[in-house]
Amino acid sequence: MKKVTIYALSTCLWCRKTKKYFEEKKIPFEAVDYDKQDEEKQKAMTAEMKAAGFNCSFPFVRIDGECTQGFDPAEFDRMLDGK
Amino acid sequence: MDEAIEAAELEKLPENRPHAVFPLGLPVLLVRRGAEVYALENRCAHMGCPLSGGTLDGNTLTCPCHDWRFDIRDGKFLDAPEIGLKVYHAEIRGGKVFVRI
Amino acid sequence: MSVEGRKKALRELFAPTVDRLGYKFTPNDEDADFLLEQLANIEAETGVPYCPCQARSKDRAADMRMVCPCIPFHRKHYDAMRRCWCGLFVHKDVTDPDSLRQIPEGRVK
Repeated sequence: MKKVTIYALSTCLWCRKTKKYFEEKKIPFEAVDYDKQDEEKQKAMTAEMKAAGFNCSFPFVRIDGECTQGFDPAEFDRMLDGK
Repeated sequence: MDEAIEAAELEKLPENRPHAVFPLGLPVLLVRRGAEVYALENRCAHMGCPLSGGTLDGNTLTCPCHDWRFDIRDGKFLDAPEIGLKVYHAEIRGGKVFVRI
Repeated sequence: MSVEGRKKALRELFAPTVDRLGYKFTPNDEDADFLLEQLANIEAETGVPYCPCQARSKDRAADMRMVCPCIPFHRKHYDAMRRCWCGLFVHKDVTDPDSLRQIPEGRVK
């Protein structure tokens, strides 16, 4: 099973849709709400997103070693299938 | 309509600094440059903040609320020319500034 | 002002601005209501209606580029998606916003 991590904002509609998408597919994931973290954790999250080539828009999704940004089921499925 | 309303005395207007006036009760912003005066709507096109509290750099007026930038010559919003402030014709007569509302 | 009142006020305030930019409120009423509620809450907390889907920094210039409606500062990106990032606004001709994809800014050609 691939490891899925979702970085989100608690105020973000697409972050909710992303979490729901993985829930409905019964794929376990770790979700972290950026706005609920302390400054140090936020800095680490920002650095990770930047290192992956993205800005600070949410959601940010990591599936094993691959990352994407935004709610895009087709892209999630492609990443899950590893194609 | 389009009547020239007395808005200010020229000598009382600060040089190169936004100044709020209220001809007929309307929020108008005046900027004096020597013998020339620009008159614009004193209400940001974004959320209505008074622009007279903003900063002027050359022809660029920056709103104090959320930094939307406008050209005082034509009122245009620098980041999207479709958006702008109303610009009023200003004229100076007998040491007084009149604005066509 | 109540959250409901502020949501209505923000809608009225932003409608003419986004109209000039070629956008309208999303026709998905449930999404629009949720997003307006987030904006009203963020504004109540910070004084500024920041985008609910972008993280704020300590850099004022960067943060001001994500104050709603932030379309003017991300025109190429949003025009490519035919929607703003949070989805509150869509291009005027969009009738089915759920058919649109979110595209990361760096992947916009």
